[in-house]
Amino acid sequence: MEKFYLAATSNTPEVDFDFPARRLLLKGESYPESAAAFYGDILNKTSAFLDEMTGETLHISVQLNYFNSSSTKMLFSLFDRLNLAAEEGNTIVLDWHHDIDDETILEFGLELAEDFPAIEFHAHAIES
Amino acid sequence: MNTAPEHEPYNPCFPGLDPNLIFFYAGYFSQNIINAIGDAVRLRLEQTETTGSARRKIFSTFIEMAQNIVHYSSDSLTPPDQATLEMRAGSVMVSHVDGTFHIICANPVDPSFALQLEPLLEPLRVMSIEQIKEAYRKTLRAETCEHSKGAGLGFLTIAKDSSAPIEYGFEPAANGMQMFTLKATI
Repeated sequence: MEKFYLAATSNTPEVDFDFPARRLLLKGESYPESAAAFYGDILNKTSAFLDEMTGETLHISVQLNYFNSSSTKMLFSLFDRLNLAAEEGNTIVLDWHHDIDDETILEFGLELAEDFPAIEFHAHAIES
Repeated sequence: MNTAPEHEPYNPCFPGLDPNLIFFYAGYFSQNIINAIGDAVRLRLEQTETTGSARRKIFSTFIEMAQNIVHYSSDSLTPPDQATLEMRAGSVMVSHVDGTFHIICANPVDPSFALQLEPLLEPLRVMSIEQIKEAYRKTLRAETCEHSKGAGLGFLTIAKDSSAPIEYGFEPAANGMQMFTLKATI
């Protein structure tokens, strides 16, 4: 499957899903008018890619400064799908970046770690 | 006659208005307008002596309120069935009084929609912060597969960041609508 790339806008993150290299990146801000529309395509492509992946390792790096409530739901769905791929025998490594005093983003990361234990979770506190 | 006490600092951004005003916008809201005024809110908050954590909570509350206006205000410039590039009317205000920020929004809603909002909002006024966080966790999991535009999780996000119980009201407005107001404290 080909690489999927979207440049960042003021309200959507950079999406650099390099499927051939098994590296996915979300970076920036996420508060689009419709998170369901923005993340729908991302979820479909990722799901189709994961359907074909067996016994492999995938790295996902999340470097979001802010995401709104509807983006939160879509991110939860994305990690739900990644957790399934991990339960099916793949290794999924999540690098979760948060500003050092941003407890909201850290808390959401810790919830993902709790809900999706098959994903290897690493939190990274960034000095602002 | 100006009733503001003399010791209050003059507010150069909003001459003649409340000196505690940090930001105020009333009019039509679209995603593009939110992007632009969101930048202004962030810059205004950077001028205040506030922690990064509080600034992020205020910005988050502002975005949730502004996007609710875009999705749910009954005063719409775009056709009601248009799902993208919506433009609807309302207002958002941020004020800073004695070290506390108040974020208040207002927009007209259909009376039938007001009846749907009330049972979402009223429980949030009496719940403890732990109960709000628990409800947030449940709603995140329950709503993820549905196609709601997300007001349930949005209100919980606002309530989770508010240091005092949220306040809301409905008042009769023009054209048989109800004016919905919501207030958070940070």
